[in-house]
Amino acid sequence: MGIAGGSAALAPILSACGVGGGTTTDQENGAEEVSGGFDWRKAEGESIKILQTPHPYQQSFQPLLEEFTELTGIDVVAELVPEADYFTKLNTELAGGSGEHDVFMLGAYFVWTYGPPGWLEDLSPWLENSSATSDEYDFEDIYEGLRMATRWDFEKGSPLGSGGQWAIPWGFETNVVAYNKAEFDRRGIKPAETFDDFMQLAIDLTDRSENRYGVTFRGSRSWATIHPGFMSQFSREGAVDYEVNGTELVAAMNSETAVDFTKKWVELAKEAGPTSWTTYEYPDCTRDLGNGTAMMCYDADSATYPQNKPGASQEAGNLAWHPGPAGPDGNYATNLWTWSLAMNAASQKKLAAWLFIQWATGKEAMSDAVREGAFADPTRQSVFDGAFKETLGDFPGYLETFETVIDSTSIQFTPQSRFFETTEDWAVALQDIYSGADAKSRLDDLAAASTDIVNS
Amino acid sequence: MSTTVTGRTQEPTPVKREPDRPPSVPTWRRKARPYLLSIPAVLIIAGILYPFILGSYYSVLNYSAINPLPSFVGFDNFSRVLSDSRFWGSVRVTLVYAVVATTVEMVLGIGIALLLNRASRIGKLFERVLILPLMVAPVIAGVIWGLMYNPQFGVINHIFGLGSTFNWLSTDMALWSVILVDVWIFTPFVAILVLAGIRSLPKEPFEASEVDGAGWFYMFRRLMLPMIWPYILVAVIFRFMDCLKIFDHVYVLTAGGPGAVTRTLQIGAYEDSIINLNYSQGSTYMFLLWVLVFITARYLVSVLGKAQRRAAGAEG
Repeated sequence: MGIAGGSAALAPILSACGVGGGTTTDQENGAEEVSGGFDWRKAEGESIKILQTPHPYQQSFQPLLEEFTELTGIDVVAELVPEADYFTKLNTELAGGSGEHDVFMLGAYFVWTYGPPGWLEDLSPWLENSSATSDEYDFEDIYEGLRMATRWDFEKGSPLGSGGQWAIPWGFETNVVAYNKAEFDRRGIKPAETFDDFMQLAIDLTDRSENRYGVTFRGSRSWATIHPGFMSQFSREGAVDYEVNGTELVAAMNSETAVDFTKKWVELAKEAGPTSWTTYEYPDCTRDLGNGTAMMCYDADSATYPQNKPGASQEAGNLAWHPGPAGPDGNYATNLWTWSLAMNAASQKKLAAWLFIQWATGKEAMSDAVREGAFADPTRQSVFDGAFKETLGDFPGYLETFETVIDSTSIQFTPQSRFFETTEDWAVALQDIYSGADAKSRLDDLAAASTDIVNS
Repeated sequence: MSTTVTGRTQEPTPVKREPDRPPSVPTWRRKARPYLLSIPAVLIIAGILYPFILGSYYSVLNYSAINPLPSFVGFDNFSRVLSDSRFWGSVRVTLVYAVVATTVEMVLGIGIALLLNRASRIGKLFERVLILPLMVAPVIAGVIWGLMYNPQFGVINHIFGLGSTFNWLSTDMALWSVILVDVWIFTPFVAILVLAGIRSLPKEPFEASEVDGAGWFYMFRRLMLPMIWPYILVAVIFRFMDCLKIFDHVYVLTAGGPGAVTRTLQIGAYEDSIINLNYSQGSTYMFLLWVLVFITARYLVSVLGKAQRRAAGAEG
């Protein structure tokens, strides 16, 4: 039956205590049980399991786990699952309600799906409990856009930033343009400031006979195609995914602005993108940038960052960063991705789990991780201004780009629990338009279907 | 047994033997033994039936991550899925995939088996090489072929001089490209199965035909093909069933795209159950796929039965 059959069958079966057995909506928040003064050794002798996917953030933290054990007396067992299978495993485990892993890495959009069934522990009571949280933790030091990204009340039409704190941002990425500075310097050109100029620049840089093309960005049949470069520029151009009409969401990816932008984006992919764009995911994009096939890459800054390290790629040392084209009104609205740490609501070791999250997202450990050399975008301003600038921020344009977009960096999507379904449909629509479908009618169909789905 | 003669005939004294008796086993154990022996089989059947029944049950609920306390909705999921053009698109993709891949694999597999049947050193070498694709997991095969198909640096465009613009995974090409990977992996399976069939055939009819002056093609068509037909049908059944459930390398190569041109039924079920966490709708996809596989399997097995009887001379 293969992976799909097995997984499809397993997901419900793992909630084997019966239909809906996976829900944990009746789980008590563990913060209320913690009292007395704060002490890192309050859960000494316990052992927690964490679920992670191999990633520069995880790799930077791996050597530091012993420090956590020395500080707290808590053992940490870290289990790694490749990113391609990570959410499949997480979905099935959370649906099963087993509480096997106490802490796991989580993207912000997943809060919208995993939160409503009660799979995630609300971390607000933990943050507010001085018996459980150190005075030095300084939650407000985490960039506001990130804190808001993982806070929601699950009400349709309600913006991010209200409701429970379902995860703590740990590492993040803004979506900007990395480019081959050596080639730009050789030609005496600079990055484009408007989207029309960006298109023209990318087309001019494309020479298929030399196996070189202008710009790479994701195009695979996945929600992950929409959220980096596409959503950032879509927002900068003034388009939105949904409009709120009372308690209903109305899909707006077929608005005049959205259709106009989508046509241009697809044209850009055809004229100046990778020829197998419809299979492109971020490793393909960063690889092509690193080996000199792509002249620009509109994707996560921290994904392109490693390509510039000495010896990491053919073009290492030749890359630079730019915020990308501003919107017509000069805005730099940028969509973000954050790998956060969340607590399993079914965990039996919540205090130990919280101490781990608190430590990993704290100033000291994050600074140490940055000094390890691969933690490109720390979520704390103090760490960015401190350890990051001291050790990592010397790549051309990286700091300037980061500082230009950070205040406009937030989740540009409207939160809704059917995010993955509707956003994958959006990626399918982009592929259809790329294959020749009429943009307006295809996006009309998409909008009608998405409106039905999100309000059902 | 010999008897000693002592002047008079002596009848041998019959040896009175105790009748063979089973070792003394308590009655309850004798009665329980059949049940104990059947436990593994029962467990296996339960392991198959439990998920099937549970999955079928989910298909009449509205169970999803956002609705973890579901209710009975009858055939709503079936009516929604059956009225969804994406589902019928997936049915079409799955059937085209299964028919084309199985046909090509049969033709190539029989051809290769006929070539390998002639004993030669090269033939023996090929027999060993032939099995290599079967040792590669389909997911790994997907990754390998994804790299080879890459227009920028893939070896296929380089060998055929197609430049960096010909895209094997474009809308027009993607379905045929994923079928090609299936053919690469599974043609050896067909070849090996058919070769085993050919080598099990009696030599006499062929020798007699040769003496009568029959040509190679005549012997193949009139003698060999009817006799190896059951083997071919077994290969058809295996491959066709597998193709109806195809997922692994298709998902790795295209994830069902571009658009929905390679979205098989399994990929649809995976999207609904695992990505969208809509367990009931995913279960409905799986149930409908099971119906399709079951009907097809029943038909093919009945055809196989007839072929076997015909090959054995029971039917004309």
